[in-house]
Amino acid sequence: MKVAVLRLALLVVLLAAWELAGRAANPLLAVPPSAVLPSLRDLLLLRSYPGLPASLWLTVQEIGVAYALAVAAGLGCGFALGMNRLLGRAWGPMIAALYAVPAVVWYPSLMLFFGLGAASKIAFGFLLGFFPITLAVLAGVRQVNPQLVLVARAYGAGVVTVFFRVMLPSMLFTLVGGLRTGLALSVIGVIVGEILGSKNGMGALINHAYGLLRTGDYVALVLVTLLLVVGSDVLASLLEHRARRWSD
Amino acid sequence: MRRIALALQLATVLAGLALWELAARAGWVDPLFIPAPSAVARALAAISGPALAGLGDTLAKTAAAYVLSVVLGVSAGLAVGSVRLLRDVLSPYVIALYGMPKILVLPWIVLLLGYGTAPAVFYGTLHGLFPILVLVTGAVRDVDRTLVTVARSLGATPWQLYWKVLLPAIVPSVLAGMRLGIVFCLLGVLVVEMFAGVRGMGYMMGSLANGFQAPELFAATALVSATSIAIVLGLDQLNERLSRWRG
Repeated sequence: MKVAVLRLALLVVLLAAWELAGRAANPLLAVPPSAVLPSLRDLLLLRSYPGLPASLWLTVQEIGVAYALAVAAGLGCGFALGMNRLLGRAWGPMIAALYAVPAVVWYPSLMLFFGLGAASKIAFGFLLGFFPITLAVLAGVRQVNPQLVLVARAYGAGVVTVFFRVMLPSMLFTLVGGLRTGLALSVIGVIVGEILGSKNGMGALINHAYGLLRTGDYVALVLVTLLLVVGSDVLASLLEHRARRWSD
Repeated sequence: MRRIALALQLATVLAGLALWELAARAGWVDPLFIPAPSAVARALAAISGPALAGLGDTLAKTAAAYVLSVVLGVSAGLAVGSVRLLRDVLSPYVIALYGMPKILVLPWIVLLLGYGTAPAVFYGTLHGLFPILVLVTGAVRDVDRTLVTVARSLGATPWQLYWKVLLPAIVPSVLAGMRLGIVFCLLGVLVVEMFAGVRGMGYMMGSLANGFQAPELFAATALVSATSIAIVLGLDQLNERLSRWRG
């Protein structure tokens, strides 16, 4: 109770300090909270950016396609490398090394290849989501106790049964964690791609507002985009809980 | 097994390069978008002067951001982790800031700090700080309470408590955070250079992409990737040595 009050108090103090400092310094650059509210109202009533729903929908679509591709490729690659010991030993470290490269270095090449449209954002979101999913599957396959598999096989369980009854339950935590990280990174990839260069989508609107120094609109657009980010994570955490309950 | 895996890794890289060269020579892919490895190698030699200067610039900003991240992250982690009230009040904010896509505040940072070095260092620090802070906070929280109680009852001053008990206990987490943090710092610096740079590798790669200079772009990308892999592998090596030394 006391902690909750203190948390709220901290937020209020920070917002008040921001408001005072912003008004005193430069309201255009510092964007005090009071300047954001009218902009947010105009944005949500579609007065300042009538294209908001279309842009939001485009960004959601890009994220959806990027994540679907990342899940498919990540699961495929992860299981292929995890089931084959030699391939896993050889290519697993290579994938881990590539994961150590800051992913944004690939973005200019993707932009050159796929252009400024949705394809380069999808490709970047895919790339960011692919690695954690693949690595989670690889780590998950290693967690499976080979003796359990052996015993199940010895008692006559088929490959499909072994997969769903033995392997999947014992690697579920790692796998679902990787899928959740992958979604978060796919979302970030699409948004980063849009802000670094795009014609449509939320990133393009943000850049437009920022470029014209419409700072109130910029903050309002950022808040709407954050809602998308938080929403996707809440969805993922709900699915994670479901999966954990299933395995118990 | 180890040898075979190593040979397979080498073979994969060589086969990939050979296939890529063949595809480019045979015209299966458009060399405007995907240049042959030999063209990339020539481009690397051609741009090596400005590229090395740009890499130096990027690495200097990354180093500044990294030092700031480690110092701020470890000291804030020690403070937040050891004071229970502070930890309870701040942890949701820290987690929210850690998880938020920081790219959304980048335009604002550039508005406030302008183009060039300052926003790059600030944004790099913003990326590197949180993973270190979160890891160190958790490590301090999980330090064996008995050690703290014994040290206190034997009359340790707060300074001695931090320096002799807490700090040695959290070294592995600090090292893990430092390993994570370097990639995040480099990422942050490169993003700013691409978005609002006037120098550095991010700026160079962005302008090469806009100029459709694919061989040069691929060469620059390879240079940055190789550098960051080398840094991370170097840190891993250091980490291993340190942990062996700690026993």
